[in-house]
Amino acid sequence: MGTAMRLLARHQTPLLLILLLGLIAVLGLLGGDSVQVTLTEMFIRVVVVVGLFVFIGNSGIISFGQVGFMCIGAYAAAWATAEPSFKQIMLQGLPVVLQENQLPFWVAILGAVLLPALVAFGLGLAIMRLSGTAASIATFAFLIIVNSVYANWDSVTAGVSSIVGIPTVVGPWTAYGFSGLAILAAYGFQVSRVGLMLRASRDDEVAARACAVKVVRMRLIAFVLSAAITGMGGGLYAQFLGILTVDPFYLSLSFITIAMLVVGGQASLTGAVTGVVAVTAVVEVLRLLERGITLGGTALALPAGSQEIGLGLVMALILIFRPNGLSRGRELVLPSRRFGFAAPARISPRPKAAS
Amino acid sequence: MQHAYVEPAARGVDRALTNASDLSADGLAVRFQGLAAISGVSLTLHRHEVFGLIGPNGAGKTTLVNCLTGFQRPTEGRVLLGEADTAGWSAAEFRARGVARTFQAGRLFRDMSVIENVEVTGAGLGLSLRAAREHARAMLDWIGLSDKAGLPAGALAYTDQRRLGIARALILSPAFVLLDEPAAGMSDAECEELMDLVASIPSTFTCGVLLIEHNMRVVMGISQRIHVLDGGRTLAEGTPGEIQRHEAVIAAYLGMEA
Repeated sequence: MGTAMRLLARHQTPLLLILLLGLIAVLGLLGGDSVQVTLTEMFIRVVVVVGLFVFIGNSGIISFGQVGFMCIGAYAAAWATAEPSFKQIMLQGLPVVLQENQLPFWVAILGAVLLPALVAFGLGLAIMRLSGTAASIATFAFLIIVNSVYANWDSVTAGVSSIVGIPTVVGPWTAYGFSGLAILAAYGFQVSRVGLMLRASRDDEVAARACAVKVVRMRLIAFVLSAAITGMGGGLYAQFLGILTVDPFYLSLSFITIAMLVVGGQASLTGAVTGVVAVTAVVEVLRLLERGITLGGTALALPAGSQEIGLGLVMALILIFRPNGLSRGRELVLPSRRFGFAAPARISPRPKAAS
Repeated sequence: MQHAYVEPAARGVDRALTNASDLSADGLAVRFQGLAAISGVSLTLHRHEVFGLIGPNGAGKTTLVNCLTGFQRPTEGRVLLGEADTAGWSAAEFRARGVARTFQAGRLFRDMSVIENVEVTGAGLGLSLRAAREHARAMLDWIGLSDKAGLPAGALAYTDQRRLGIARALILSPAFVLLDEPAAGMSDAECEELMDLVASIPSTFTCGVLLIEHNMRVVMGISQRIHVLDGGRTLAEGTPGEIQRHEAVIAAYLGMEA
């Protein structure tokens, strides 16, 4: 087996995940427009949840604030690409360069990556020395602040009314491409030195410090990278919807994305990706049932609201039977007989319940 | 079973940081809400020696080790590494300057593999991943855990967990290592084997060892000097022979055990 093969085998997890998503994308070609929309949304959520994983999965600290970064990213993209005529009337607080120009998509995404990363750096300096619940609540406070600022800063966010005229350039394939990028970035981090040290601090913070690990710094790096990826998801979301308000970037999205991560298995990248796919599938099936199907002449429809209840039940059941999520905290690898020479890069499994 | 230790090259790690010749406590006191855990303790640990620290439960041994490794800020007194006052150093900084430790409870990274446990310290000290892996391999080879490198640390047998804790502390040859009851819960034979290993640390790593150990016979056997704590205060310090004859020690500690 050549060096290239060994390298492939060693780093097979992200490639397999990208392949898996590609398969879903190809299957989606068979479906109609609504399937395309669902797929695009799913791939964007893969970006967001993989972003969450970079921080939550590796540090073991739950952050409710990442959707705040998604919001910041979405607005950054909208500022770059929304119709100049709209910006000049509604967003007069923006710099003139932004008001007068409609910048290209890549600039929008760059902004959606950099601005959240910058904010995360400032915020992280302040709160990364906190641990456990205190850190989680601090990130929750951040989410509230972002929501309030973006809902009230009328001159740059249009307040509670929407920003319109954002080119809808993101379809399933673009979103798929970015989800692949997010997976590669998250994987690269996970197997890096910083990733190794951060995972050590997740297992035992005190012991990590005794091993010369600067825990706060490692967390900060992950927090910034996580915000960048999540923000990128926000930018994609804006360019997918074409119209933007603050409303979606709040509690329900925050909880559903964290739920996706936990259901998939928060300690592994595989868990982040499968969580999104699984929850999306459950939601779609329930939505279908709610609309009603016809079986052998009888029309069957679930009462309204059963979609949410059903999702809650399914998630609870998954966690009861697999407390560490669908992936059990492990990474997706091919049976090792096939790649007998080279074990994949070891990323610790997390076999016991996170407490 | 045990191999010679050959340390790989360590590029990017500043060894000058870790050349202090002794680690000392100068009039240390720690009080928790008025309750004194230790008071007025002074001692000096030299490189090239095994220094025993004994005392009954609650004597303040672990608190003292916490002070000497940056995990506990002393209420009074100073910790000196060579000439340097360590006030304000983080625990990570103590390790970077060559003061390593193990924990009574082991505190392994249980979900990480055995070799990753050792690599973490290498990475923390500035090695690249590749170099950290190489150092970790050499260390596991020396301590006899090579064949278990890929297992999750939590799956190791108890005695192996203790050895891994020591391996994790010794990577990149610290100047001092503080072992907090490494043999607790081991059988006599296991304990003896571990103590042979501990006794070989100073010569192998040019590293001073501070050993907390309950079993008096064991400590007497391998320590060059012994410090006895009782109720947070120094009761005696001296060679094993002197300690064995020390009346206060016999009264407070040996007498109790016998």
